[in-house]
Amino acid sequence: MKKTTITLLAALSLSSTASFAEYPSKDLQGVIMWGAGGSTDTVMRSIAPHVEDALGQDIILTNKSGGVGAISMKYVNKKKADGYTLLMGAENPQMHKVLGLSNLDYSDMIPISILARGTPMIMARNDAPYDTMQEFIDYTKANPGKVKIGSTGKGGLTSIVLAMLESQVKLDYISIPYKGDGPALTALQGGAIDVMPAVLGAAIEQIKAGRMKAISTVDVERNELLPDVAPITDTLPEMKSYLPWGPFFGVFVKKGTPDEAVQKLSAAFKEAPFKPDFVDLMEKRGFTIMNYTGEEARYFLDAYRSTSSWLVYNAGFSKFSPEKFGIKKPE
Amino acid sequence: MSSQFSAQKTRKPGERLFCFLLVLGSVYIFWQAYNISGFSELSSPGAFPLAASAVMILASCITFLNTLKSPAVEGMRFKDHCLPPIVAIVMTLILVYSVILESLGFILSSFAFLFVTIQFLYRRSILYTLSISLLALIVVYIIFRLVFQVVLPEGIVPEREILSSIKSLWR
Amino acid sequence: MDAFTYFAMSWLSPELLGLTALGTFLGIYVGAIPGLSVTMAVSILISFTFSWDVNYALCLMVGVYMGGVYGGSRTAILLNIPGAPSAIATALDGYPLAKKGLAGEAIGLSTVMSVVGGFVGIIVLALAAPTVSEFAITFQPRDYMMLGILGIMLVGSLSGNSLARGIFAGALGLLIGTVGLDPMTADERFTFGVIELWDGINPVAVMIGMFGISEALHQLHHMNKAVVKQKIARIIPKWSDIKKYMPLSLQTSFIGVIVGALPGTGGDIAALMAYDHAKRTTKNPKVPFGQGAKEGLIAPEAANNAAVGGAYIPMLTLGIPGDAVTAVFIGALFIHGLNPGPLLLLEQPHMFWFTVGNLTLANIFVLIFGLTGIKLFSKIVECPKGILIPLIFLLSIVGAYAINNAIIDIWWMLAFGVFGYFMRLYGFPVGPVILGVILSSLTDENWRRAILTERGSVSDLFINTLQSPLSATLFSIIVLILVSQTPLWTKWLKPKLFRR
Repeated sequence: MKKTTITLLAALSLSSTASFAEYPSKDLQGVIMWGAGGSTDTVMRSIAPHVEDALGQDIILTNKSGGVGAISMKYVNKKKADGYTLLMGAENPQMHKVLGLSNLDYSDMIPISILARGTPMIMARNDAPYDTMQEFIDYTKANPGKVKIGSTGKGGLTSIVLAMLESQVKLDYISIPYKGDGPALTALQGGAIDVMPAVLGAAIEQIKAGRMKAISTVDVERNELLPDVAPITDTLPEMKSYLPWGPFFGVFVKKGTPDEAVQKLSAAFKEAPFKPDFVDLMEKRGFTIMNYTGEEARYFLDAYRSTSSWLVYNAGFSKFSPEKFGIKKPE
Repeated sequence: MSSQFSAQKTRKPGERLFCFLLVLGSVYIFWQAYNISGFSELSSPGAFPLAASAVMILASCITFLNTLKSPAVEGMRFKDHCLPPIVAIVMTLILVYSVILESLGFILSSFAFLFVTIQFLYRRSILYTLSISLLALIVVYIIFRLVFQVVLPEGIVPEREILSSIKSLWR
Repeated sequence: MDAFTYFAMSWLSPELLGLTALGTFLGIYVGAIPGLSVTMAVSILISFTFSWDVNYALCLMVGVYMGGVYGGSRTAILLNIPGAPSAIATALDGYPLAKKGLAGEAIGLSTVMSVVGGFVGIIVLALAAPTVSEFAITFQPRDYMMLGILGIMLVGSLSGNSLARGIFAGALGLLIGTVGLDPMTADERFTFGVIELWDGINPVAVMIGMFGISEALHQLHHMNKAVVKQKIARIIPKWSDIKKYMPLSLQTSFIGVIVGALPGTGGDIAALMAYDHAKRTTKNPKVPFGQGAKEGLIAPEAANNAAVGGAYIPMLTLGIPGDAVTAVFIGALFIHGLNPGPLLLLEQPHMFWFTVGNLTLANIFVLIFGLTGIKLFSKIVECPKGILIPLIFLLSIVGAYAINNAIIDIWWMLAFGVFGYFMRLYGFPVGPVILGVILSSLTDENWRRAILTERGSVSDLFINTLQSPLSATLFSIIVLILVSQTPLWTKWLKPKLFRR
């Protein structure tokens, strides 16, 4: 009797370890934080086939947009922590706590991979009477309340770049919000707005075609794709403390996911960004491939959260103080 | 134009109450719209909802006042002509279906819903109903789950395991 | 010469031809099933065609797009459930036709006119793309706002015999459209602290509920009535009919191309504006609008298919999506290593004429697949109600879920289904509700952008409106329509000026 119990137990434990060793034994679900056709969607759909090859299972991709990313966060965290549901997201949830949008951010999940980072730029309408950051600042100061700057709502890239700018120099301008950088950049070409801070990838083709001009790179150095555009630190050296900073794309799983699954996923995602077509895509869209996993990814996420949260807090449009969530001040 | 406002000549049972509820609802919505940003700026997030709900109050009041004037339809009863038992029962069935959909899973709950509803409305042999429900379910499952990869609620059926074991047979 | 070679590329290669045909065929069904959208299908195809050559992938996707926009009319006519928002206007007169036993004729006519619209869109794309796209991006927030107002004025056409009830329904729709986090300031509007409401209430869920569920519930009243036998003798419309309706369908096609080419509006708004145009310009319809007027069927169908060509105009020339589907196409081009943008046609000169040729081909397949199998489809309406109604419910629920993989959408759909049931019962039109939902954000956001641009000054907004030729034109159209509908004009001035 005792013997059979032991063999049964052994068999049970064997089968349970076996089921982990076999991970993944079924299709995975990849939940994309933004809608079809957006840059998060494009990046995730182009990396997924490579990861599928590495894992030997399909990843069913579903777009679950809404609530600036909070809905997909909540959805994935409601699922089982078995490594079969992946959150494929962008930077937005890192701001949710201070903006009072949600009580979840990426520190409540396990990062599998931080794939890439974008570089913010400041774009201007083609016939605007300024070509550089300094000229823009001088013009805006000389014409208070005349320059129309597009934005994408509180906590978006634009608002943070403008918060950085305002911590350095006081400007009087009109802010006109758009649903996303796509519609805003269209409005820039149509002359409805004069200036728009946006990620390089969204505007690179338009800049190359001469339909709008880049007046500054929000980074510490020049970007390879636009070597003629000076970094913002040339005009405002104090900005160095925030930079480099930029939106990112990452893949996450729920906390409590078994280590085997996390490791297998990380390994699969570590390989994929080296595929030539992915590298090509990222280069063309002006994204810097990061390919961070584990501790490196955590460190990056924390740094992003601390810079952005404090900026937003100091600019006065956060709902809560970052201190409330134990977010450290950036050094 | 003024004639259009009172074109509804007669009034069905329950119509007056419905229109009254709409007036109440509109006032509540107006209050909610006011709470968004008050009467601040024309460009505030609450401006458009305030305007729309004000129009709703106005329109629902006109409609309600009209129902006060118009005579009731002869021989029409709410129970028979407005919400007959069959409609109420089907509404309940759909409600139950939506409630159990997530916990029981798409396959089981949809099958139960189809079977019960078709049996209730069509009253043929059980075998006939069974086969129609099954057929419809299979078609819907193939289109939505397999072709368009809509991950339907799985509930208590381990669908993905079953699918991947079927797939491994193919390999 | 080059242009012709590229144009014929997809016609001459059997693989490309086959893929276009397959795409169109699939697209018709994607379009017809509520909840399955063309946007969704094209995104799935991106993953599916990842390793293919870009031309092969594009053929399949273009087919799905063209077929899908057309397919929305199928379920709108047969079951009163528009397959997509661009088919809402089609349901208004298409479904009454089916109820009279004329489903076959309605589908036949809508197919032919969809194809006419499709061709107008393609021709404008081929001949005037750069001009139209430069024109389209000059639309300022105030112009979009006025387009929104023009659309909202349609409530008058959709109200049936009680204007007050129509206005109520329209305002309700506008409010439903504002639910969620305000996209401009992230303030919560009518969300009651529920995260699921942040993204608002999906228009498709409202649409399936208000049209499909409420109609199916009303059908339960007449369970004992025999189903209408469908007359399927005539499916391909009479030549004289086509000739008679051609001017209308050409006019509404042009509305479709322009509205489709505007980056802020798509086929849904185009179709509604076309319906309004038809109602205004048709002096003496044989059958009143809303009860099965053929004009009301033709106008939106021509316009929404013309909007496809329109949506391609800014996408191919400037890399700006004309609607949600072309946004996904831009993503697909990126993934396939191209650079959609103003330089695309310089770097990939074949892309323009290849796409034009491919769209033309897909449009021809719409005609072929659209006109075959109509008899079978018309039979759906003859299916016993005891079976059909449960199936409509199942399809509606799965469709609502499929929009965003969310149970909450099912709840909204049901709530609006039941509410819509009572609205219809008490003589409230449901069309204006969905009209309001569609036009809400367009009007709200652009009104606010327009007034922000003028730093809150209404008089400055007015002055600037009159100074820009485009804005002034739109403004005068609105004033004209308003004046021509007020009693002052119809009762007093008109009889005096146009005395018989």
